[in-house]
Amino acid sequence: MTSHGLEYEGCNYFRQRLVLSTLSGKRVRIRGIRSRDDNPGLRDFEASFIRLLDKVTNGTKIEINQTGTVLFYQPGLLFGGTIEHDCNPQRSIGYYLEGLLMLAAFMKTPLKATLKGVTNDPTDPSVDLLKATALPLLKQFGIDGDGLEIKVVKRGMAPGGGGEVVFSCPIRRTLRPVQLTEPGKIKRIRGVAYSVRVSPQMANRIVDSARSVINKFIPDIYIYTDHLKGANSGKSPGFGLVLAAETQKGFFLSAELSSAPQGQGPTMLPEDLGKNCAKLLLEEIHRGGCVDSTNQSLALLFMTLGQQDVSKVLLGPLSPYTVEFLRHIRDFFQIMFKMEAKQPLEDERKGGEKVLMTCVGVGFSNISKITK
Amino acid sequence: LSEGPGKPPKTTEKNVKEPKPLEITGQDQAYETDGALRWKDDLQQKASEVFLRHQQAAPNLRKHVYGAVLNQGTGQSEELELGGMFRVSRPEKSKSNQADAMDCSRFHPDSLHNWDVEEMLNSIADCFVTGKWEEWQDAATLLKEDE
Repeated sequence: MTSHGLEYEGCNYFRQRLVLSTLSGKRVRIRGIRSRDDNPGLRDFEASFIRLLDKVTNGTKIEINQTGTVLFYQPGLLFGGTIEHDCNPQRSIGYYLEGLLMLAAFMKTPLKATLKGVTNDPTDPSVDLLKATALPLLKQFGIDGDGLEIKVVKRGMAPGGGGEVVFSCPIRRTLRPVQLTEPGKIKRIRGVAYSVRVSPQMANRIVDSARSVINKFIPDIYIYTDHLKGANSGKSPGFGLVLAAETQKGFFLSAELSSAPQGQGPTMLPEDLGKNCAKLLLEEIHRGGCVDSTNQSLALLFMTLGQQDVSKVLLGPLSPYTVEFLRHIRDFFQIMFKMEAKQPLEDERKGGEKVLMTCVGVGFSNISKITK
Repeated sequence: LSEGPGKPPKTTEKNVKEPKPLEITGQDQAYETDGALRWKDDLQQKASEVFLRHQQAAPNLRKHVYGAVLNQGTGQSEELELGGMFRVSRPEKSKSNQADAMDCSRFHPDSLHNWDVEEMLNSIADCFVTGKWEEWQDAATLLKEDE
């Protein structure tokens, strides 16, 4: 290992770098963080993410220079336990949760994190989406049991926030290798239409319009309407929809759309939102694979950390975020994936091109896990 | 017979009166193999063409993911100086936005398909249980086999 560990530049892929550094134990230095920006340095939400990592680890060393453009991160040991964190409302809780999902299984004691902040915004995957798709994915890798849960206690829309989410996850010593090559056919579509501090009728209007698009394919659709009131409804008004299509084999493809934060951007009619979200789901189904585009990197990480055996996962086209994640995995774990593009057959009506990802796991094991 | 192999054999009176099955089949064979040979001639070339076409259609993913990393750091070296004192600091949208862009896992493809068209809806019809099943999974064919 070099004296300074790995070096990167720029603020993009911030979470990937810190999470992989924590898992691999390699130090990382990030230079030039928004150094050409009018407002240089780390943003509040990034600082909040670092603080969150500090809470779930022991002995993490963080150095930031005065302008905030250089960050040095020396990872400590993953500890876990019960924590509470105020997530900066510049990003939604999903931003922080994505990082925790990657780390949670490798803690010393099971993690129970109470995260407060924005539960739904148009930018990041929402808590509801991760609940519907990321948790079943963790189960595929052997992270299951009673303790695995994401619970939305209070909903808080951007920009005010005021939501609360409890995430708990059991720990594992090792992950099992997976062979997820056959997605199966979609048997049902589930969803959540949520609304806070607006008329509860909004959610119903969303449901009707979303149904009108996807009903052509499959009749088994159920979209819950979730209207929270009073103290549980956060500080800002808003509404949105999360859709998840489940296949026979238990894989999930998802899409979501949220209304623009109050005072930012044009308001969208609930009918349009429902329709557009349903179309996004069709787009995701067209991309296909066993893991949807939001969770690609989570699946690839767990394949990398699996036992020293071959893992295979069929994905849709790789997102730019995933491509960068693959490069980072190579940097931190020296693992390169084998990628095979699968062109759709002539008479096949199963969407576009797929990619079969294959790798041999590094045999990562959670040495700090307590054996009882 | 003296005519080139490109033309079909002429049926002369002699042939008609005294058919020589052996010879004719022999000729036919010759023509057949000749055609077959011509068909085989550019097999290698055809194969390589198909291969190249396939290569272009499916860009090498491995190269795309693992090969392009080296080009990233090059944007920094070209810094313009004004009068030897000032450095021109201009936000290079194309180069630096990659490094300082927003860290978000959401996939926003360049263009979305038009899901109002029947053709597009058809293209994913078999992703659902209501679509056509593979033969080895199809309940109707399986039942028929059982009977």
